[in-house]
Amino acid sequence: MSKAKGRPGFVLEVDDRTPPLLVHEGEGFRLENFPLGTRVVYPPESLPTVPDVDAAISEALLHPVDADPLPAQLRPGMKLTIAFDDVSLPLPPMRSPDIRSRIIEAVLQMAADAGVDDVVLIAANALHRRMTDAELKHIVGERVFRSFHPYGLLYNHDAEDPDNLAHIGVTDRGEDVEINRRAAESDLLVYVNVNLVAMDGGHKSVPIGLASYKSLRHHHNAKTMTASHSFMDHTKSHLHHAAWRMGRLLKDHLNVFQIETTLDNEVFGAPYNFLQKREWEWTLRDQASVLAARRGLAVAPNRLRHKMFHDLRSTYGLTGVNAGEVEAVHERTIAMVHRQQLVELDGQSDVLVMGLPFLGPYNVNSTMNPILATCMGLGYYFNSYRGMPVVRRGGAVIIYHPLQEKFNQLHHPSYVDFYEEILTESTDPAVIEAKYEKQFATDPWYIHLYRTSHAYHGVHPFYMWYWAAHAMDHVGDVIWVGANRRVAARLGFRAASTLQDALEMASSTVGPSPSITYLRNPPHLIADVR
Amino acid sequence: MSFIRDGVDDVRRVARGWRWGRRQLVPRSAEQFVPAATPSVFETAWSRTRAGRAAREVAQKAALEPVFRSQVRSRVEGLDALTGLDGPVIFVANHASHLDTPLILLSLPHQWRRRTAVAAAADYFFDTWWRAVSASVVFNAVPIDRRGGSLASTPGELLDDGWSLVIFPEGTRTHDGWVGRFQSGAAYLAVRHGVPVVPIAHRGTFVAMPRGQGWPGRGRRHLTIRFGDPLRPSAEDTARTFAPRIRDAVAALLDEDSSTWWEARRRRATGTTPDPAGPQVAPWRRVWEQTEPVPPAGRRNAWE
Repeated sequence: MSKAKGRPGFVLEVDDRTPPLLVHEGEGFRLENFPLGTRVVYPPESLPTVPDVDAAISEALLHPVDADPLPAQLRPGMKLTIAFDDVSLPLPPMRSPDIRSRIIEAVLQMAADAGVDDVVLIAANALHRRMTDAELKHIVGERVFRSFHPYGLLYNHDAEDPDNLAHIGVTDRGEDVEINRRAAESDLLVYVNVNLVAMDGGHKSVPIGLASYKSLRHHHNAKTMTASHSFMDHTKSHLHHAAWRMGRLLKDHLNVFQIETTLDNEVFGAPYNFLQKREWEWTLRDQASVLAARRGLAVAPNRLRHKMFHDLRSTYGLTGVNAGEVEAVHERTIAMVHRQQLVELDGQSDVLVMGLPFLGPYNVNSTMNPILATCMGLGYYFNSYRGMPVVRRGGAVIIYHPLQEKFNQLHHPSYVDFYEEILTESTDPAVIEAKYEKQFATDPWYIHLYRTSHAYHGVHPFYMWYWAAHAMDHVGDVIWVGANRRVAARLGFRAASTLQDALEMASSTVGPSPSITYLRNPPHLIADVR
Repeated sequence: MSFIRDGVDDVRRVARGWRWGRRQLVPRSAEQFVPAATPSVFETAWSRTRAGRAAREVAQKAALEPVFRSQVRSRVEGLDALTGLDGPVIFVANHASHLDTPLILLSLPHQWRRRTAVAAAADYFFDTWWRAVSASVVFNAVPIDRRGGSLASTPGELLDDGWSLVIFPEGTRTHDGWVGRFQSGAAYLAVRHGVPVVPIAHRGTFVAMPRGQGWPGRGRRHLTIRFGDPLRPSAEDTARTFAPRIRDAVAALLDEDSSTWWEARRRRATGTTPDPAGPQVAPWRRVWEQTEPVPPAGRRNAWE
């Protein structure tokens, strides 16, 4: 069912008619009265979705961009590998059926018709945690899971299994390209992506998603991250430049058939859709929902509150699917992502305000610990720009999040040690990298947990900290509203109870009457700062 | 306790932010992104059935009139203009306040009032079901589309069915108390359906309850309402030629209300009736002049 065409994003200027605006803060939200004149960037509403998803997938596979149709590349006796994005995409997880399952089913149907026997499915989780069987089943669908998983033909990529890694070569900048051996030795690698934001997809899929630590360390470091302006613009991101160099090297050794999908902005379905509506258009029902939700969250035990949010399933619709040669496909994908998420913004401001929701890529079915919150705020949200950062150099960033000292021991064991041992020594990404990264990256216990349990790799918290390096380098002050003061201090930041207090604290950096911009996301947006 | 206190704070914040009980506002910078409301077809025929008329009689006599009289004082002049009329007419009046409609309806003799409907903006009075129902029950309002468009029952059909209509040809309430441009809808209906137009001029409602105010100000303000002689379109008249005559009649009545019948007649004969659009002076001076209280009629009591 095709949805109505949405309105474009725009910049609201807070005036006397503006009602309180919704601000996310972890597993909750508040209604905030912003100072008059504050600019609020609203994302575009959802673009029309494709009228027939199966027909669109079929069209993409049969008429790919700069590549032969998929059926023409399939033959009996060949080695076919299908890799796909892991649980970190999309956010929140998509209501069943996940778009990847529908694409994988279409690819497998063509493979079955062509008589291909040797097929393996690999989750491209890089150094992310291994997904559980339930999570795998949700992504690939019951039919695919039942056909492959019991036979060991559907599994998570293991970046620490030397026997199953293949060193492809070295780029002209000396970067090692090492990826999953099964993928590297396949006659055809089909990659199924969900391009939720502009950072995803392209050569970030295979050279990063199926890589080893040896390969990832070349671009996941403080220097590269600081010089990436921004991650959401692959033409200006040093991280992506490295991935592109690796991808082009891979292209000489491996036949990759890239399938990329773009989504609309339906992040929250009913009854939580008020979270993405423009506040002055809230109906009485929406207002009642907000009041009820706030009271319910106030009395709910932590466990129930966590469950309420993490059981949320997004209602994304498919706006496009493209298949074929990686770069040609990605060009089309990015154009669609920009249509869905880009909002023009005139000039930078002194203060950038952001509200962090309950979920980031690395705490699906888990806890957003302080390091992940930092990555989410100063990494992903701060970098949601094209052109210039939304806040001027030396400006202040105000972030809403409780920053509680809570860690998921199963998923984030190395984060605990990073928080307790490393951040007490230094919060400078470059210093941390030079002194401690190798120790965590090669720690046998962390590697064991990564390979056998559901733990993120030992080096992962370092990477989270590097994501924030550009913001830390750019801004003069970071203040967390509603945060635990001790935790904020540990991270090297300050905490305030209210926006007014935060602005008062920031006045030493930006003066008593600064210009303020609030990014009203989710849904996703990219501020195109002119 | 903090749960209850925070809950009360939340309710207060939402009530204030979303203007509970008042019309919701859109931030100025967002106005261009608010889609035009699709004119909804709200059927009002039920409010003119026997049961609807009975409910309206109760609402007007038992609720509207006592409340109205408790808040303002009114003086009605010129009702003799209705003598000799027995068919439907179009009452045309200047529009300054939400008090205009009750003032006109409650000034009409009973047999006229119960057969009179009020043309009301569909986008304003019929945008929510509860507003539409209450407007239909209390005022016998029928929706008209100010932007053009089709609606369930047209004002013309009502005239054909023998209902009189109250129309405010300005289309909206005045911003400064002076009379705005008259649209030609009332003239068109009169010409098309061959019904007379009864001009009405009233003063004082702008002072008592202007735009943006939800209740009359304190002190029981004085309102005056004056009915003029009916105007009948001739066979040669068109809406274009008839509309200025209606506006001139309203202007003459306003002049008469603020001076005397004789002075107003003489000015009208010499074509020197004051323009009801007011002088082209600074906005504050226009508002200043219009907010002068209407002097009470008759003998003042000792405390006034």
